[in-house]
Amino acid sequence: MLSAVRKLDRILRGEATSLEAIRDNRFDIPIVGISFILTILGMIYGLCMGTFSLTASGSNQNMQILATTVKVPSLFLLTLIVTFPSLYVFNALFGSRLNLPTMLRLMIGSLAVTLAVLSSIGPIVAFFSVSSTSYAFMVILNVAVFAISGFLGLGFLIQTLHRLTIANQSEPQPPVETAIPVEEAVVSPEGFEIPPLPVSRSAIRAPDHRKVATGVWLIFRVWVLVFGLVGSQMAWVLRPFIGAPNKEFAWFRPTGGNFFEAVWTQLGRLFGW
Amino acid sequence: MLLAMSPIHHSRDLLRLAAVAVVCAMAYGAAMGSYGIIAGGEATQILYGAIKVPILLLVTFLITLPSFLVINTLLGLRNDLRQVVGTLLMAQTVVAIALVSLAPLTLFWYVSFRDYNIAILFNGLMFALASVGAQKPLRDRYRELVQRDKRHALMLKLWLITYAFVGIQMGWVLRPFIGKPGAPSQFFRDEKWDNAYMIVGRMVWDAISRMF
Repeated sequence: MLSAVRKLDRILRGEATSLEAIRDNRFDIPIVGISFILTILGMIYGLCMGTFSLTASGSNQNMQILATTVKVPSLFLLTLIVTFPSLYVFNALFGSRLNLPTMLRLMIGSLAVTLAVLSSIGPIVAFFSVSSTSYAFMVILNVAVFAISGFLGLGFLIQTLHRLTIANQSEPQPPVETAIPVEEAVVSPEGFEIPPLPVSRSAIRAPDHRKVATGVWLIFRVWVLVFGLVGSQMAWVLRPFIGAPNKEFAWFRPTGGNFFEAVWTQLGRLFGW
Repeated sequence: MLLAMSPIHHSRDLLRLAAVAVVCAMAYGAAMGSYGIIAGGEATQILYGAIKVPILLLVTFLITLPSFLVINTLLGLRNDLRQVVGTLLMAQTVVAIALVSLAPLTLFWYVSFRDYNIAILFNGLMFALASVGAQKPLRDRYRELVQRDKRHALMLKLWLITYAFVGIQMGWVLRPFIGKPGAPSQFFRDEKWDNAYMIVGRMVWDAISRMF
């Protein structure tokens, strides 16, 4: 457990996906360990999201909080299971050299980043859940929080995809600056030399000046499209997550409708068109 | 004040800052709640005020912190994290100290003017003044960080936006701070908690629809 948390920390810090790590075959995102952490993180957010149902302004159904705790991690893991085969095959068709375990690690890593951000916003969502009476506000707030987390997860995905592509290419010779910029030693007014600061790595920043290749962008776009569409529809199938105040608790709502239509309706309620 | 702005080396210093913030916030809260006895009401609001103002500042800080830390880590700013958290806590403490320094003004205002709504407005103004006052030391401290990495500037903006977003709602939930004359003294209002943004939104919407 603790070692898995440490691995997650390495992913967030960008150490697990640094160019050196990938080159030395140390792209270590343990699939089982991180999947376990993912589930825990998802459950934490589910707990926060479900608190709306505990209040008098919510549905007042205690079962909803349990359901949401189970549903949030399921949403991500099920979407991964449904989309992974097609993503892998598509990727292979486009001549990418990523093998199956590497791709799975990449996807799990992106989900770990997404869920780490998501669960860290959890306390804010829980606070608003407890103190709000408006269901529409809670729906839109949750969608916004998922969007922010997803966006950062995507940043990790594109950067890691980019790094996996360039890691084994020959190092280009930049004429002016070195590939990894090292800050020059600064001389303080007193004359003491301050040693150059270690360059901070980031999991979602480009490691050097090289641009993301067009092929990588294409693969990324298709992944985002497929994963995003399946994910939002999965969320719709698994609903209710928050629990509408005027409805009875149910594990699932009857099928029909879709995610985007519903978000549009709630936006309409919130802004009154 | 100087104590709050001295550099931070140990986690002990962080605790000391938090302690100063709590004590000062309690002092202002008590002053804020003393409207009741000055305007001829109950004294319990002094106690409630002394509890609520520190909650307002510190709970907002704690709720906002986790996501801020995770996003900082993602952007590769983990090594500066101790300094960042220390700086933000320092800003909290400066707000609290500034509030205490404004407390005599608030008391003087209560003695001079009895109007309840104006008292609320005056307190809002005091909070605004204290927050604006804390911007200067906050930005000074952040300048060093921004020189090291430009992303710190972005993170500071993110922090201020999230903090305000949560803080406004926190202030709304924790009402009443002052205690309406005639209304019974209570910790929370009896009415359902509502969302501050929804209420403001509804007010704006009503105002617009009345115009047309």
